[in-house]
Parts: sequence; C-alpha cells; structure tokens
Amino acid sequence: MKTVISSFALLLAGTSAFAAGASKTDVLTNYSNIAEAKYADSLATAKTLQAAVVALVEEPSAEKLEAAKKAWLAARVPYQQTEVFRFGNAIVDDWEGKVNAWPLDEGLIDYVDTSYGGATDENAAAVLNVIANPSFTLGTETIDAASITPGLLEETLQEADGVEANVATGYHAIEFLLWGQDLNGHEAGAGNRPWTDYAQDTTCTGANCDRRAAYLTAATELLVSDLEWITAQWAEGGQARADVLADEAAGIVAMLTGMGSLSYGEQAGERMRLGLMLNDPEEEHDCFSDNTHNSHYYDGLGVQNVYLGSYTRVDGTVISGASLSDLVAAGNTDLDVEMKTKLSTTMKALGAIKTAAEAGFAYDQMLEAGNEAGEALVMGGVNGLVDQTKTIERIVAALDVNTIEFEGSDSLDNPSAVFN
Amino acid sequence: MLKRLSCLLAFVAQGAFADQTLVDEAIETHILPSFALLNEQTAVLEEVARVHCTATAPELRSAFHKAFDSWVRASHLRLGPSEENERAFALAFWPDTKGFTPRSLNDLITNQDPAIYEPATFAELSIAARGFYALEFLLYDTTFLPSEEAGYHCDLVRAITHEIHRNSAGIYLGWQGFQETLRNPSLEGTFKDETETLREVFKVLIAGLQFTSDARLGRPLGTFDHPRPARAEARRSERSRQHVELSLRATYDLAVLLSQNEPLIQKRLIDAYDRAIELAQEMDDPTFANVADPSGRFRVEVLQQAVDRIREIITLELAPALGVTEGFNALDGD
Repeated sequence: MKTVISSFALLLAGTSAFAAGASKTDVLTNYSNIAEAKYADSLATAKTLQAAVVALVEEPSAEKLEAAKKAWLAARVPYQQTEVFRFGNAIVDDWEGKVNAWPLDEGLIDYVDTSYGGATDENAAAVLNVIANPSFTLGTETIDAASITPGLLEETLQEADGVEANVATGYHAIEFLLWGQDLNGHEAGAGNRPWTDYAQDTTCTGANCDRRAAYLTAATELLVSDLEWITAQWAEGGQARADVLADEAAGIVAMLTGMGSLSYGEQAGERMRLGLMLNDPEEEHDCFSDNTHNSHYYDGLGVQNVYLGSYTRVDGTVISGASLSDLVAAGNTDLDVEMKTKLSTTMKALGAIKTAAEAGFAYDQMLEAGNEAGEALVMGGVNGLVDQTKTIERIVAALDVNTIEFEGSDSLDNPSAVFN
Repeated sequence: MLKRLSCLLAFVAQGAFADQTLVDEAIETHILPSFALLNEQTAVLEEVARVHCTATAPELRSAFHKAFDSWVRASHLRLGPSEENERAFALAFWPDTKGFTPRSLNDLITNQDPAIYEPATFAELSIAARGFYALEFLLYDTTFLPSEEAGYHCDLVRAITHEIHRNSAGIYLGWQGFQETLRNPSLEGTFKDETETLREVFKVLIAGLQFTSDARLGRPLGTFDHPRPARAEARRSERSRQHVELSLRATYDLAVLLSQNEPLIQKRLIDAYDRAIELAQEMDDPTFANVADPSGRFRVEVLQQAVDRIREIITLELAPALGVTEGFNALDGD
C-alpha cells in the first residue's frame, strides 16, 4: 500500500539551523550517489541470482537450488539498505511494490499446505495456484496462462483482483519459489522445498515442474529489469536524482521523511512489533527463507548510512561525502551527537537479533507467545527505532521547517494502516 | 497513488511558539476524562459478562456497545500508557488484513485452550484474540455463535472482557504518572520543551483523523472497480458509521481546544467538522454496505472528502500557527 508520509518542507529564509556548514546541494548529490550505488549493487547481485536460476532450471540439482538460495540472500543485503529511499521519494514508492511487496498470499503462485486454508474474505485468489492452472478465472475474466511470461506476472497477476496480497513478482515471490512455505511454526528452520520441484523428468515433485521453472525464470527476469529501471533513475540525468536536486528544501525533507517513516511506522511498527504482538511466525518479513533478522538489520543500516552519508558497496568500495550529519552539526552539535548515538544504539540492538538468529535462535522462535528472551531482543530493536524517530523529529523541527505538504486524496484509495 | 499537492512554502511568524497550557488543558479536559470513561465502561462490561455471558444476551450486548463507544472516543489518544505493554494494540487490533482475529479465536475454541482460565497466560496471547474486535466476533459472527448456552464460548467472553478492562484500567492508571511527564518537559526528560509536548498531542489529533479517513472510510471504499464492503470496521455489530461519527466528535473536542487562540482557524475548523459530522449522521448505511453501488459510494466519498478537509486545515493552517511540525506516526509506511 502506498502512503504518504507526513511531510515537511523547509523554510529557506530566516534563521535556519542550516545557515552555515555543508552545502545542501553537496548533501543531496551524495545522497543520490549513494542511492545509485545501492541500486546498482542490488542490480548486480540480482543478475548473479538470475545466473544461478538459469543454472538451476537448465540442470536441476540440490546443489543448484542451494546456490540460487545463496544468491538470493546475498542480493537482499544491498536491496534492504535501499528501503530508506522509499518514503519521501515518490518515484521509488510508486515502483517498489513490483520488487518488494509483502506480505503475500503465496497460494496464488504455487501449491501450499492444507493448513494454509482457502480463499478468504479479503482475497478470492488466495489459493489460485497459477503454476498448476494454465487457465483460470479472475473476477469475471478468463485468463490464459498457458505460457508463463514476465508480462503475465506483471500485468495480470500482480495485485490481481485489486488485492495487494496477490504478490506475483519480486524478491518474496522468488523467495517462495526457492524455499517454499516455512511449515516449522515457532520451531527453527526455513521452508524446505525439494530441488525435485524443478526436476524436468519423472522425478518431478509438486507437479508442473516445467511451469514452476518458467515462473521462477520470468520472476527473476522481471526483478532484473525493474532494478535496471530504478538504477537508471538515480544515475546522472535520471528522474529520481533530478527530483531530489530540483528543490533543496524538499530534497532534505525527502531524506528525513524516508528515515523517519521507515524507522517508525514501517519497521518498528508493522514489521517488528506487530509480529511480536500477534505471535505469528508468518509475520516475518523474509518468512520463507528465515532471513528476517538480516532484513531488519540492513533496513536499519540503510537509515544510518543515509544520515552519515557513507555507504560501503558490495565490492568493498566506499561512497562517501557531504552528509545530513554535517548539516545538522553545523547548526547544533548536540543534536548531531544525539542522532548518531541513537542510530548506533539501534544498530547494536538489531545486531543482537542478527547474531542470536545466526547462532541458532531463529526469528520465528523469538515471536512465540511467552518467549521473554525473544521479546526482549525484538523490543530492543523496536525501542531503538522509536527513539531515533524522536530525534529525527527534533532535526525536522530544528531545521525551521513547517508542515506544508498535504496528502492528496488519491493516496487515500489505498488506505494504509500499520496498526490501529 | 502517491500524490503530492502543491508544495506551499509558508512563513511562520517568528512569534509562534508552543503553549504548554494547551497541553495541560488537553490532559485535564480531554485525555483523562476519556480514559476515565473507558475504565468505567469496561469495568461494567466485565461485571455484566460475569452474569450474562450468552452472546445474544441484551445486557451483554448493551454493555459491549457502551464500552466500545468509550474506546472509539479515546481511540485517537495513542500516546504514553496506551503504547506501553501492548495495551491499545490488545484492545483494538484492526484492521485485520490477514484474518488473525477469527483464526486465533478458532484455534482457542477448537483446542478448548485452557489459557483462557488464567488471566496472566491469556494476556500473553496474540493481540488479535484479546480485544473489542475479538469480542465482536464472539457476539455477532454467526460462525462463532455457540450451539449451547454455557461452556467454553461463555468463558472466553469472560476472559476477553476481563482483559479489556485490565488494559483500559492500565491506561487510565498509567496516565496518572505520564501526565506529569507531559506537563513538565525538561531537557533531561522524554520531552525537552513545550514544542515537543504540544507536538505529541497534535500528532494524535492528525493521526486520528487520518485513521478515520484511510481505514474507517477508505477500507470499505476500496477502489471504484473493487469496493470492499466486507472490510468495514465492526460491520458485524453494525457500528461502522457510528465509529466515524464518534471519532469525529472526539477529535472535534481536541481540535477546538488546540485552536482556541486562533479564532479564524477555529471557525474554519468548526465549520468543516460540522459538515463532516452532519454527513456522518445523515448516512443511512450503518455498515457502509452501499459502497458497492454508485450512489451509496458517492456518499461515503463525500464524507471522506469532508474529513480530509478538516485534515487540510489542521495541517496547513493550525500546525504553523501552533509552531509545530507534524512528525511521524504509526500510519507512515505501507
């Protein structure tokens, strides 16, 4: 769902906290450079994933499936760090549903366990199973899905019937096709799809292995082309970069809006605290692969590196330059120190979740009712994120900003409520 | 679609500064009375359920409606004690986009889970099974109406009403201490100055209106091609329209209070509220079931626009006049 985004705009005149110090244009240029590098890294790692998928489909084996999973996990590292660009940059927010929509009713795509249930009040297509059905009805329309193509996924299946849980494309659709459902409940362990789901002979399991392979191929192809598009938007001459640089005040606001909205409503709220309060192992952001601890960690890292103006690329090179931190420090050193301290506190808390998960305490287990150690770990991250949002608000206030942007009614037809 | 309206750069008068007396008054005349009422009504609900636990008992249903009304009147006040210990989340888990509430109730009933007999254990269960929306399912959803009178269903009603009162009382008691924090900003405290305390109160006003527009009205509206009447809030007990009206009346009180030093803005706010409340009152569609036909849909859209007009005045006029920025709320994000 798209949302705005409480937003702010700056007063350029008057005694701003930014009167002296780093140039706003430099800060925004560095921000755009970092965005470009993060999306370029996402694209490069997605291409590696695509090569692994091609290898799996051509000659399926347990090793090839494992290699594809490994490539998917690696591809998430740079991508999650881009989420901080979503809120605040309309061009990113309008696009990102194609690649990272979640949660999804995976029964739309492929077979699911009987415990998954059937069609729901919210989604009549929850168990459509496109892979098993070359032709089906969607609403009142008969769909020819004999050939599974990027076009079918993108134009017909994605958000089919106007339901957002019908996620047909992007990282999480691919994740489901590689891992399958996680049926371990609150126990450790990810989805366990057998590699024979891709076997193109009589050893095929789960039926329709050819169509499953076609789906995975098409979804990966789309991911690559979608990432190519967004990377170009942040390059020299690209629209996203131009938008950010068009108006310095609005550009700085976009940076802060992205940091605050991701920290608070999205990550602390919907992705972390809600899952804990529902005690539901399916409320994990990367639920099929059990990679949620990394998803949270790299989201947080993205917020931090936008503030500090420094990003370490997947090849180890560093993109660094004028930062929001410089800008804040020029007007108010204490506030800058407060922001930096809170960002590192959050990263420490998210790091604790990550290390515990990597040592065997799965994120699913942390969410279980009455699991106090798990609750303390997750709430550590939530509290850090909530607390850092307060300081982001202080920065907005210190910028001598004034609320001026109003959420248009078009954004209301896709209502968003993280939690009530 | 994310649509950006024109970016209007407004110059705040240099003299605009936050006024702590507005916050103090909001605490005294709006926040504390709202939670006192919630505390009382949920105590009554718990008592009534001890005697009448049958889903169709008029005494129980009447107490349910009164207590739920008192929650909706306070539902925008999401700050401080309501955000601690999952209290407000457990009282009101909605929207429930993945059907957690019916599923968790079903699990309890199917397994005859003994957790409901131990309040401390019940309080650890999913928020989806512990609040007003879960109770509504038990009292009004035909799939949950029990075949016999007593038994597990009855005990579950009692467990939920006890839990509802426990959380409501927790919020009310929590405010006895939290009001001091909010009344006395200090450099070392949670709130550093009057701007921050006022922003905290201002934020719940704007977030409450956003919730009414986006969720209470926006969810059943869906899109023109896909209206979603089944997504209306509390439609099973036919409270959807009423929630909009109650919530508008509650935020009206807060808006009038916060705009008292700005007579012109206050006048425009009152006019905008009068129009929205009138539209909500006139609507002869308790569950927004008519969003599926064009004329019924139109009326809900007009109401939503009227609510958005209030939001516009608050964001564009009242916020600068008060010298506050909007900040972030839980509705940011997807």
